Amino acid sequence: MIMDNIIEVKNVTYEYSEDNISYAALKDFSLNIERGSFTVILGHNGSGKSTLAKLLNGLYKPTSGDVLVDGINTKDEKTELEIKRKVGMVFQNPDNQLVASIVEEDVAFGPENLGLEPAEIRKRVDDALKSVDMYEYRESTPHHLSGGQKQRIAIAGIIAMQPECIVLDEPTAMLDPKGRAEIISTVRRLNIEKGITVVLITHYMEEAENADRVLVMNDGGIIADSTPKEVFSNVERLKNVGLDVPQTTELLYRLKSAGLPVNTHVISIKEAADEIERALHSEDN
Amino acid sequence: MPILEVKNLSHSYGGNTPFINDAVSDVSFGIEKGEIIGIIGHTGSGKSTLVQHLNGLLKPTEGEVLLNNENIWDNPKEIRKVRSRVGLVFQYPEYQLFEETVYADIAFGPKNMGLAGDELDKRVREICKMIGVKDEYLEKSPFDLSGGEKRRVAIAGVMAMRPEIIVFDEPTAGLDPAGRESVIEIINNYRAATGATVIVISHSMEDMALIADKIIVMNNGKLFMFDTVENVFSNGDELRKIGLNVPIVTRVFDELRGRGIPLPENVFTVKRAVEEITALKAGERNA
Amino acid sequence: MLRDITFGQYYDCDSVVHRTDPRAKIVLLILIIVFIFLAKNIFALLFCTACVFAIIFVSRVPIKLYIKNLKAILPILIFTAVINMFYGDGGTVLVQLWRLSITTAGIYKAFYMALRIILLIFVSSALTYTTTPNDLTDAIERLLSPLKFIGLKNAVHTLAMMMTIALRFIPTLVEETEKIMNAQKARGADLENGNLKQRVKALVPILIPLLISSIRRAYELAEAMECRCYCGGEGRQRMKQLKLRPADYAVCGVTVCCCAAVILLNIFL
Repeated sequence: MIMDNIIEVKNVTYEYSEDNISYAALKDFSLNIERGSFTVILGHNGSGKSTLAKLLNGLYKPTSGDVLVDGINTKDEKTELEIKRKVGMVFQNPDNQLVASIVEEDVAFGPENLGLEPAEIRKRVDDALKSVDMYEYRESTPHHLSGGQKQRIAIAGIIAMQPECIVLDEPTAMLDPKGRAEIISTVRRLNIEKGITVVLITHYMEEAENADRVLVMNDGGIIADSTPKEVFSNVERLKNVGLDVPQTTELLYRLKSAGLPVNTHVISIKEAADEIERALHSEDN
Repeated sequence: MPILEVKNLSHSYGGNTPFINDAVSDVSFGIEKGEIIGIIGHTGSGKSTLVQHLNGLLKPTEGEVLLNNENIWDNPKEIRKVRSRVGLVFQYPEYQLFEETVYADIAFGPKNMGLAGDELDKRVREICKMIGVKDEYLEKSPFDLSGGEKRRVAIAGVMAMRPEIIVFDEPTAGLDPAGRESVIEIINNYRAATGATVIVISHSMEDMALIADKIIVMNNGKLFMFDTVENVFSNGDELRKIGLNVPIVTRVFDELRGRGIPLPENVFTVKRAVEEITALKAGERNA
Repeated sequence: MLRDITFGQYYDCDSVVHRTDPRAKIVLLILIIVFIFLAKNIFALLFCTACVFAIIFVSRVPIKLYIKNLKAILPILIFTAVINMFYGDGGTVLVQLWRLSITTAGIYKAFYMALRIILLIFVSSALTYTTTPNDLTDAIERLLSPLKFIGLKNAVHTLAMMMTIALRFIPTLVEETEKIMNAQKARGADLENGNLKQRVKALVPILIPLLISSIRRAYELAEAMECRCYCGGEGRQRMKQLKLRPADYAVCGVTVCCCAAVILLNIFL
């Protein structure tokens, strides 16, 4: 079976220079993102994950190697807008990505740039706002909304361009737990209901729980690429690259270190309780 | 006698801000010297408004704040002295860095207190040593540092005033795990060296369980609970009613107890949890 | 307060004036101001007064809000009136101060000028109370759009975009300024006391962080706009189209008739 990839990153190196010294943020990096998938990229600050995000929609161009979006090379200047439409980006600070002071006008910004018909723009704006559950706030001003709500408006602004894929670069870093949960469930729903490919970059492990695939980045390369459970079970490797594991995984990892026969492939509270219960009742230890 | 006492404090922001209502009403509590107090509650529950009263940035609409039994507003002209005794580290404090060098930025607070010359120099170097700002950083521009380092320098700027009470508004917000750990370490170091009282606003119940002695729970501008960590986290149902929760390990233990496994209720940290489970297992084996 | 600049002075209710197309409102405002100044005799001016009060009445915005705007320019109003008082030609002399004299004609002129200014403020307020800054920006962009034919296409779009972004970010920056001020105060900064030099110096710890954060914001916003396919005014479409409705034409018609009436009053009385 041929995998249908929306994004292909092929042997990409990305260098930037500071004070005439060049640094490689990514080194000979390759990655495929399957259409319709939900991928989480984890990594501490400076691991190269934000650089990767900006390469995916052509905001940055690789120093060497290629990034293909739906088969189109991001180096091709003629298709720049097409690529930006296909791969939407949501950033960390919701305040700094909203352009207009009325919610619906902000969401309309992208489609307006695409030069669509006014009626079509209206329809897309309404649909996008409904899909992030912010339709009732369409006439409010973003300044009066919570961080989570503002970030959902930013997502709606991207959805209104009808992208194939959304890349979110630490969208929850500045939010409180409620806002964080709102964003994660919104993104999850867009992935399932609209089939939009999601690439979520974060350093909160909990957010990777429901992903199809988790990548761990360190020092401009990938050090793990698997299912969430598989990745989390290797607690030591994550800790070595400055990442935290969910408290449930941490608990089981320490129990295992203390000699209990538990499996550390768990994330949810119920699964953790199952494992501990089983270990407590097992006789063969 | 409490070092800090808040009596029937109320604050309302006129009629102008109907959207984010962060007012507080009739809040009272007392904090003993050397305690670590956690404050939890939703955005808009009044936490930020409350802490801005502790150093006199806001004046209570009603009620009073007593520092060592003296109303901080007895002499409004002296309010700046209160601000050096009760340090307040805002969210994202690195956004307030402005001097050309790290040294000058850390010296800003003590200088405003009237320190100068050798005394000022000693103060800055002491605090840097205490929380691990390296000497070679002192002449650098604060804007050349990494995110985590900037945060450390910004916190040092408040600590350099040597406050008896130091308040942190979400000190680890936006940092990665390594950054979070180092901030918690800084707070512990400062406390160990000066015996200061610490107040921390946080959204992480897990962090609260690790560092706090007592917890203030705010809800809709009112003091919802003020008790020891143990008593607050034993009221999981009450917390869930206002949309908060207990630490994850505690939830795992609740689940296990629900299945009839004899584990104690008062477990809030992973360390304790491991001890309890291994003890139970050892007991079973011996039985 | 600045914080609410998004709505500016906008008074939220429904009236004929609110519903009128913002472009029409701007053009009519200019027309009315011109005719207030063209009103040569007191009858013409009183007629203008009646018209302005009619607008105020129809706008359904409480009159006390209009008067509030007047307070801000009260010093200018009094100054103009007093100056004009001494410049009346003819009439009976009422008071003689050294070489200056106040005559009946002077009083008349002072009253005349003051009334003009009051009308000016009232009719401009009628625009800002019934139109959101957003709609105003939009209307200005569209009114200026003919400039594109003389090669200023991008200039018009850029100007409008700048206004939109300013409206969006002013509240954010005001809030940020408050935060930074509080944080520096918490570090013992003294912003209230001292002489002028000290006070200016005390602003440095506030202005530098504000400047740095604004640059960061500008940079991030530019990236976000690029990601949303923004590349200037070229090929851009707008969701909200402004279209003149019959009611707008009616409003324009009535206003033009009133202006004609002013001219007639000027000639025949």
